[in-house]
Amino acid sequence: MIAPAAVMIFLFFLMPVVLTAIFAMTNMSTATGISGGVWQVTQGAVNRLKADMPELASGIAEPRFVIDEEGLAALEALKLKAGFTAELRTSHMGEVFPSRREAERVIKALKDRPSTREVKQISDLFNRSVLNTRFETRDELMASLKRLGFTLTPAEQETVAKATYTGWVWTTENFRIIANSPDMAQIFLNTAFYVSVTLLVFNVSYALFLAITTHYMPASTASIFRAIWLLPRITPVVIYVLMWKWLTWDSGFISMFMGQFGYPPKNYLLDSAYNAWFFVILINGFIGASMGMLVFSSAIKAIPQAHFHASEVDGASRWQQVRHIILPQLRWPILFVTCYQTLSLLASFNEILLSTRGGPGKATEVWSLAAYHTALQNYTGNLEYGLGAAMALVLVVVGIVLSLIYLRIFRYDTLISKPLIED
Amino acid sequence: MRILLDKFSKSFGSTKVIEDMDLEVGSGEMLALLGPSGCGKSTTLFAVCGIHRPTAGRILFGDRDVTNLPSQERNVGVVFQSYALYPHMTVEENIGFPLMVKRVAAADIKKQVADIAALVHIEDLLGRRPAQLSGGQQQRVALARALIRRPDVLLLDEPLANLDAKLRLEMRSEIRRLQKETGITAILVTHDQVEAMSMCDRIAIMKSGEIVQIATPSQMYNDPRTSFVASFLGNPPISLLKGKAEQGAFVLGENGLRLPLAALSGIPDGTALSLGVRPEHFGTAGGVPVEGRVVFAETQGRENLYDVVLPDGSVLRSIQPVRDDVKPGDSVRWNLDSASTFVFAEDGQRL
Amino acid sequence: MAEKPQTSANFSSVPVILLLGLFSLPLLVMYAYLFIDTISDTEVGSLIPSEFTLRHWSFLWETKTGKPNIWLVTLNTFIFASCITGVILTVSSMAGYVLSRLNVPARGFFLAGVMVLHAFPSVTLIIAIFIVLQWIGLYNSLIGVILVKAAIDLPLGIWLMKGFYDTVPWEIEMAGTVDGASRFTVWRRLVLPQIKPAMMALGLFSFLTGWSEFILPQVLAPGAKVQVLSVYLASLIIDDNNFDFGTFKAVGVFYVVPVLILYVFFQKHLMNIYGGGTKG
Repeated sequence: MIAPAAVMIFLFFLMPVVLTAIFAMTNMSTATGISGGVWQVTQGAVNRLKADMPELASGIAEPRFVIDEEGLAALEALKLKAGFTAELRTSHMGEVFPSRREAERVIKALKDRPSTREVKQISDLFNRSVLNTRFETRDELMASLKRLGFTLTPAEQETVAKATYTGWVWTTENFRIIANSPDMAQIFLNTAFYVSVTLLVFNVSYALFLAITTHYMPASTASIFRAIWLLPRITPVVIYVLMWKWLTWDSGFISMFMGQFGYPPKNYLLDSAYNAWFFVILINGFIGASMGMLVFSSAIKAIPQAHFHASEVDGASRWQQVRHIILPQLRWPILFVTCYQTLSLLASFNEILLSTRGGPGKATEVWSLAAYHTALQNYTGNLEYGLGAAMALVLVVVGIVLSLIYLRIFRYDTLISKPLIED
Repeated sequence: MRILLDKFSKSFGSTKVIEDMDLEVGSGEMLALLGPSGCGKSTTLFAVCGIHRPTAGRILFGDRDVTNLPSQERNVGVVFQSYALYPHMTVEENIGFPLMVKRVAAADIKKQVADIAALVHIEDLLGRRPAQLSGGQQQRVALARALIRRPDVLLLDEPLANLDAKLRLEMRSEIRRLQKETGITAILVTHDQVEAMSMCDRIAIMKSGEIVQIATPSQMYNDPRTSFVASFLGNPPISLLKGKAEQGAFVLGENGLRLPLAALSGIPDGTALSLGVRPEHFGTAGGVPVEGRVVFAETQGRENLYDVVLPDGSVLRSIQPVRDDVKPGDSVRWNLDSASTFVFAEDGQRL
Repeated sequence: MAEKPQTSANFSSVPVILLLGLFSLPLLVMYAYLFIDTISDTEVGSLIPSEFTLRHWSFLWETKTGKPNIWLVTLNTFIFASCITGVILTVSSMAGYVLSRLNVPARGFFLAGVMVLHAFPSVTLIIAIFIVLQWIGLYNSLIGVILVKAAIDLPLGIWLMKGFYDTVPWEIEMAGTVDGASRFTVWRRLVLPQIKPAMMALGLFSFLTGWSEFILPQVLAPGAKVQVLSVYLASLIIDDNNFDFGTFKAVGVFYVVPVLILYVFFQKHLMNIYGGGTKG
């Protein structure tokens, strides 16, 4: 009976964890594709080669002229003077000319005297270049280079093969980028700021505020307020963010409202990094507060009524009651919520993606959103799956560590009492 | 300090729990609010300590009108049924809490906590947490916390309900000792008549939100105003026989028992009555012989308890020093002390 | 104590109600205008709607150029949410029972695993899942995204079901086994009926999360034929040069009303689950 669950969790949960780690070690991208690749001397490959082998790099991109059977057959098909073909085959077969000028000098010197127009026509037929030709295997590329007169040492061959391979390869480059790039450092700081502020201000403090204020209300009023504050979580995220966009749009509610006091309308969501953060935290905080609110409310409800009565006759004011009776008894729930919501905040990017898309500029780009942008949606069009997976892997590792801590807090060993029927 | 409830009423929503209740507790007196559950005794206590406000009427401590004061300003000490010790604080912090919220200096709190702990004999438990204490120890901590700021009034809500029988006996005298030593005015809420009778100066017995009778324990036992009071006090409880008046006598059934009573002069013949007979007033001593059959016998160690069915089917209970000559099924002819019986009208009022 | 515990008279609830009411105002305004704006036009620079109109709702009978038909999208969303609910209920009601009641090898390990996965931020796996779906050819299909979404929500479902089974008294099962029924029959006939309310709550919850899900369909099934409402609405908002909040909100209301109806009727059930800890 547990098999379907095990299979599904394995296939769509555990395997992706492992695969994330695997993909993180590759340079997969739109350009490399996700299956195997081919060998192709692209302009990019030439550029890559320039650093190590400048000579080869400039040569490989240039046209080469080779007298071969293929060219001769084409020449015959042109039905020019038969002597051209015969002479080229007998005297020049296999010769390689590094430039058109040299090839044309030989053609001009043919006994049958081709016209200038014919020289050009013939030389074109022997123009051989590896530039932009696709080779299915590495050996084909090497053989082709050899024919064109590039003699390479095995080490050089290795470099050329690496530079021209279009498929993905194993690499640790992704991690170096993550560790060294100043962009990544900025994103890391953004994430730390976003998670800690949202967590402290909303998921814990504001949730406590909601739970405590509703505790001091008649039950029916309290349930109305709890229902209102659960709305952001219930509402589909796309609509929820849409409402915030409407609120902050330059012809939206805030602009119109401030307009009454003479402020010019503007897009409050995206006009400055400060405002963008303000609303991003608000948008996420309103959703996050509801979980804490419910957890804390039920924890407060679990405190015996007599404790409240006793502290009141003992002379405690409302603030003293909160400070000395309620808060100390909420320590575990607070830890639980903190741990749980840290994970959610680290990983979720729905709301930011839909509201600011990380903007203005990259002001509100957080780690998970950056991973998404890198791997699944960006403006340049080259989706870097490998780098994105490496960024996600960082989150996966953090996620595993934090959820193990969470497991300890939950005292899971107390939850697995032995079954009472033995069979 | 005297406590006065003047025309006190309390309702929750449309449910009236208490209406126009008058109650006065003298300074230094300990009064029991006794009654079955749901009679409104806890409601009264909650109103006195200020957790609930009266719907109408006044509450006075001494001459001070506290009706609309919050609990914090009333200076009352309460021991709750569950003790309501704060689980996250040590015993010392628990006892010191009322002073701490008043921002008394820490050194002062420490000294006062030590004093009060000595009074209730828990000096060596101050570092523990409530969960590490036995029921009796928790009870003492709750008392200490209620007493530490020298309240004008001490309220005890079923303080012994959660203790086992032996501890209950011990704490009964302990609470009474503390109340006497501190001279504090106290109200004890309980449904246990033994507790009320053994601990308190006076008992107010309540039924459906009304005080039926206020008296000292012995007065109340010997001179109950209604059949409810008579049957609530006494263990084993009083037997009530249903009969009617006939020429100044109580008559049970056709040709049954006939008991001339002074209280019945002037009562018209045929009036429905009930006769209360306490078990100790039916036995070997006493004037009026009554015949019947023993249907139940129970030994309680020092005494035996018998249920005797009279010819008309009503039951009289008897408690007697241990004897082993009577078994269930035996016919007996025991005596009834008619001077100690109570006669009640149909509505329960004593005649 | 015979009477129910009442709120203490020592603290007035008026200040807290006023305070929280003030804090709740932005939310109330947003939701109020969500509905008002769909059936009215408001002049620029004003906050009060000036005229009643139904033109924002025209998407219901006119298919926008370059966009899939709204009814197809709605059908997709319904299929998506229902399938997820079905899969989660079936699979987690079985697995939860095993973990709660049966002596299976590695039970503790499996429980710990479910627990960790339940807290684990699964959306971080979306890149790997995207590539896997492309490999096995389930990219841009409803089946693929249904399986992924159901799998991701499974740990929570199993965990909740285990908790619900834990509350069923053992005596019921003991009586059943003594009467000669197999454990499967005991589960099917005796235990399952006991947790019907719980199944209902989990089913509702799964349906709502499925109905609301955005990022998975957006990444794994963005094609026009398999689009769901969240993706449809998001694409409407993103690619429109002429920002027409009236229409966006009309689509939004069309999308959110089923959610709100379920929420109003089953608020109690849902509160339990949301309080128990969900992602988001």
